[in-house]
Amino acid sequence: MAETAALAYSRRFFFLYDSSKVQEEEDRTREGIYYFSPEDTPVDQQELLCGQLAGVCRCVSEMSSSPVRLLRLRKSKYAVRMKDSFLWALSCVVDIPDVSVCDLLDQLIALFCFYNGPVRQSYQLYSKEDLALRWARYLCHLQGGSTELHNIFSCVRTIDSTHIDPLLLLKAALILQACQRCPLVLAGCILYRGRVVSTQMTPALTMKVMVYETQTYSQDFRVTANGLSSSVGSPSSFTATTQVFLTPTELYMLRCHPVDRACRSHCSQPPCQPSKSRFLSRTLSDTPTTDTDSSSLDCPPVSYQTMPSSPRSSLSDEPYFSPIPSRVNTPLHSNLMNQSEYFTPDSHDHGTLNGTNLCAVKESLAGLNIKQDTDASSGSETKSEGLNSDQDTQSDEIKALANGYEQSNCLDNHSDHDNQIQNEENKLDANNHVANKNGKFQGETEEEARTKSKQVEGRLKEKYEPRNTPSPHETLADTSLVPSVLYQHRVRGLVLALLVEPEFNTDPTAREEVHHSSMASLNGLEAHLRNTSPGTPGPPGPYTFAHYDCIQNTLTTNVCGRSAGPQEAFVRATKLLHSHFSHLDTLQEAIVRLGSAVYGTRSMAQETYFLQQGTPVRNSGSPDPQDSAFSLPRKARQRLLKHGVNLL
Amino acid sequence: MKCLLLANESAEVLFYWTDTEFEQRVQEQYGVSQEEGERLPAFEDSINTLFAPIIISCSTMVDRLGDNYTSFSTENNHIYVLHQFEECLYIAVNGDGDETEEDLKRKIFVMKKLTEIMFGMVTFSGALLRKELRPQDTEQRNRLWKKLRSLLETYSRLRENDQSFLVEAVERLIHPTLCEQCIEFLERRLVQQINSNMDRMGEEVLHAFILVHTKLLAFYSSRNASNLYSSDLLALIILVQDLYPSKINLDETSEMAEDSLQTLEAPTPDPSAPSRVFLESKECPMPHSMYCLPLWPGITLVLLTKIPNSHVATSVCYFLEAFVKLEKRLCEGHEGAAAMRGQPSVQEQRSRLEKLIKTWAGMDIQVSGQQNFKNKAFSRSGSGFTSDLLPSCRNMKTQLCGVYRQFFAAECMGSSQRLAPHLQERALSMVQEKLMDWKDFLLVKSKRNITMEFPGLIHFIYVDRSNGQMIAPSLNVTDRTVSELGKGPLADFIKKKVWSLVATAQRYLQKGYATVTLRDGDYFYCYFLWFENETGYKLEVIDIPSSPDDGAPVGMLTCDYYRKLLRYYSKKHQNEVVKCYELFTVHLGVIPNEYILQHCSQLARKLWEPTRIPLL
Repeated sequence: MAETAALAYSRRFFFLYDSSKVQEEEDRTREGIYYFSPEDTPVDQQELLCGQLAGVCRCVSEMSSSPVRLLRLRKSKYAVRMKDSFLWALSCVVDIPDVSVCDLLDQLIALFCFYNGPVRQSYQLYSKEDLALRWARYLCHLQGGSTELHNIFSCVRTIDSTHIDPLLLLKAALILQACQRCPLVLAGCILYRGRVVSTQMTPALTMKVMVYETQTYSQDFRVTANGLSSSVGSPSSFTATTQVFLTPTELYMLRCHPVDRACRSHCSQPPCQPSKSRFLSRTLSDTPTTDTDSSSLDCPPVSYQTMPSSPRSSLSDEPYFSPIPSRVNTPLHSNLMNQSEYFTPDSHDHGTLNGTNLCAVKESLAGLNIKQDTDASSGSETKSEGLNSDQDTQSDEIKALANGYEQSNCLDNHSDHDNQIQNEENKLDANNHVANKNGKFQGETEEEARTKSKQVEGRLKEKYEPRNTPSPHETLADTSLVPSVLYQHRVRGLVLALLVEPEFNTDPTAREEVHHSSMASLNGLEAHLRNTSPGTPGPPGPYTFAHYDCIQNTLTTNVCGRSAGPQEAFVRATKLLHSHFSHLDTLQEAIVRLGSAVYGTRSMAQETYFLQQGTPVRNSGSPDPQDSAFSLPRKARQRLLKHGVNLL
Repeated sequence: MKCLLLANESAEVLFYWTDTEFEQRVQEQYGVSQEEGERLPAFEDSINTLFAPIIISCSTMVDRLGDNYTSFSTENNHIYVLHQFEECLYIAVNGDGDETEEDLKRKIFVMKKLTEIMFGMVTFSGALLRKELRPQDTEQRNRLWKKLRSLLETYSRLRENDQSFLVEAVERLIHPTLCEQCIEFLERRLVQQINSNMDRMGEEVLHAFILVHTKLLAFYSSRNASNLYSSDLLALIILVQDLYPSKINLDETSEMAEDSLQTLEAPTPDPSAPSRVFLESKECPMPHSMYCLPLWPGITLVLLTKIPNSHVATSVCYFLEAFVKLEKRLCEGHEGAAAMRGQPSVQEQRSRLEKLIKTWAGMDIQVSGQQNFKNKAFSRSGSGFTSDLLPSCRNMKTQLCGVYRQFFAAECMGSSQRLAPHLQERALSMVQEKLMDWKDFLLVKSKRNITMEFPGLIHFIYVDRSNGQMIAPSLNVTDRTVSELGKGPLADFIKKKVWSLVATAQRYLQKGYATVTLRDGDYFYCYFLWFENETGYKLEVIDIPSSPDDGAPVGMLTCDYYRKLLRYYSKKHQNEVVKCYELFTVHLGVIPNEYILQHCSQLARKLWEPTRIPLL
């Protein structure tokens, strides 16, 4: 028995167990098992694990008057969360840092609550089988890091910015800002093939939003492959909304987002002013339009004025935002229902779409007060005048993007070489410009943000005073979750995901406006990203490194795939050092050697790990100033500069 | 909030220790009545009830999954560490943040070591260990548990305050001339005189040493004595410190110190009675008698003697090993001759065993079950060497452990077996006379053993792992005398940093990392481990294998890690004697790295000399 069990035991387990279902002698343990992964684990083994772990955790938590957080066995370890009668446990091999597996479990629970709301309630509404699908998906999503390092740092996957034209990133950011013109939009992010291009949300929230993206993306492809693609429009482009649940902190942070505020303050101006027809940024100037185009299309100012747009809306507003389930397409339902349940724009929508889009973009640009050469854009105006159909506009835009934004500058006749030079200059210009603007922009709102955050702190404190210590894991506090809506607009591999107020669903104008305002830009961005070669990774270099940005939750590394040889040594040391850093706040840098030496350094914002490859010089390990291991900090500083990592 | 508990597989508590905070917590939780007289058993019951679900779950996990819990931690940072040794489960709990998971694990292993020192091979049998640790007689049990608790507290105090227990290596007083004189004195005068005296009652002094607090002044082993391992020497220092706690901590008003005071009031009911200790040897844990003779407060003479009949231990051990091997092979499914492979011929063993049992019968020691084993294994009607033999094989093991217990376990010892009291007194006064003029010097020297001269160097510890000795400047933060670092919060801060550096270095070493440097706050920490040959030539570094997380902690007191490490390295250097050294340093962070490394290198060279002082 022990042997066969031990065989299956080397797997990773995750389960959710409700001990309130197993109270009487005759209650079977399986009644309490809400979800168990891997699902093909024999039931008796599931019962054994759940029963033993739940029992022992309850015993320990009673003795210590505190829930168990981590449970270690000889061959594995479990991150644990206990709340009311629920127990979540996620196992991993012993050499994964404690902090990583605990984070992973918290993320998993947070994900579930984000899409399904409070756990108890969701199990009242839906069957175990339905929710099992969800757990499996979240689990798969969280454990699907491209390397072991990604799982250790549980970071957000981003597109490789070193191979992307920086202007594209700017464009993505502008699209998001444009969407925020609608006061019902809280914040958004743009994803491309499961990776973040630009986001306005916290890393944790971005991570949550990404799951749905990944899911619908793969679902979309499955559907197409089966030849069942929806008849309501091209499956490569559609929008959908789904109900999600935010914690009060998340919601508050979204509502008082500094960018949001600044943008909205400009929103109070009449939304469509003639001046906005000017092209304000070369980034977007490739979208052809004319004054007459934009003025002929009405921006819906009504929605701006009638909606509760105040970003100061306090937590006491919460009851106001009650979910309207009938209008909301929960992902669970979308799963079970036909593809057509997604809101798919009709072809006539596309007709109006471009204009609205431009209007919104221009507005946002006006909001940013970016002055740009209008002469250049006027060329493009005339040039694109004849383009009426949405299809043409799109293809034109794609072309424009492919040409490096230069179409409007009438540089078509120039050689590619010239084109490139000009291109570089423009890019530099645009970069500087925007960077400065952003800097100023943040400066203006920083103080406000600080005051506000103090206010929110005060309110939250008030709200949670009885609990004394704030829960480390807010989503576990079932009652505090606030329903919200996730809007998603997909263009092939590209997704615009917006967190919006629940009214968004009942407000076709707002919805249409957001859709139209972003459609063309998204198409353009998608086309350009699609045509960007992933970039051949340069020669790996005689070193291995990993750079973790703790603020953005991103990882830059030249470790690829399954690590072996020196990379394995590197990953092993990185795990130990990361664990050490997480336990000791004052630790700044470390060098550790087993065969080859690994250097780790960290600040408030980052953690960097570095290993110099090549046969280590013969040494004894005794203290020796000539020992090459101690030159690692200097080497790391030099080598990593070209990866954009500054350790000075 | 601390607790340590030993239980067997039937969830019976074999021993427990708690601090007052834990006790209060349990009482609050369970509303245990606090009536006088009833209090103790009631508390024991609630401890039992409290831990029973965990203990039972442990057995279930082992039986059904072949895995076991090693630790739990809660959101309020309470830590539970569990370790199973054979049939005995150890659980250590901390809820006040004073100890890490690693500390608790080490405490468990030290507790295990202490039971081995006290009971020797009896610990091999769960049933007998239960008898030993949990005597039926309540008074006897209380006495034993009090002793064990006191030992555990003494260890914790030393681990917390004494650098030699931090790195688990013996610290020597650095005074080569005096050291040499003392060794000569111990050899030529003391040991010779005792061993030639008629009143030694068949005992023979094998080792003699002088301790100044926990530091070693001189150590002598007689020619026919086997090696005394560092792990044993450290454990013996715990026993000595338990009997005669160093004054250092008596200044404190802590609970620990109060306990020590109580111990001081009544060291032993019978001052001339030795303690029974079981020391490691190549063959098996060998019984010895230990005499602790206090020369002056803080200075102690320790004699370790070989006791009559100790050869019985060797033969018991020989057969025990044979039965263990047989059991293992039978369990693996080998039968017949294959089960006995790798051992002397069956007939030879059989006749040896029979001869031995006859001898024992003459000494009034019965070995039951032997006939049963013989019938099954050797007779024609019996099944021979098959798995049917397993139960009687196990029974034989228990029987042999029983013989060992009858011969050597402390409680069974005739109270008369000891060096004659006048002989002990004579030894005491001889050494007192010899050291009279040095006494005060030694007590001061033990506080200022070595000084530092490097600017920017805050502290260092240098360890020679081949002989299990260390050198370090004093860090007596609790003492009235001022150490190199002075007194007060800074010294205490540095002490914490040093303690955490050693813990960190050990954690990395356990994973195979032999070089570690850390920049932490305003300080720079280094750790180096390296190998040399006897002439001081530095040998090439090797990849040290990583030890499993649930393995023994890195150290010398328990399951000597460094002895294994040296053995591992020596395989690659078979032609020379391999030595292993460690250096821990703490520097000011503002000092440039290259200077720090230069310092470390010079320090290692300088400290190499004092460790050359001969011990024997």
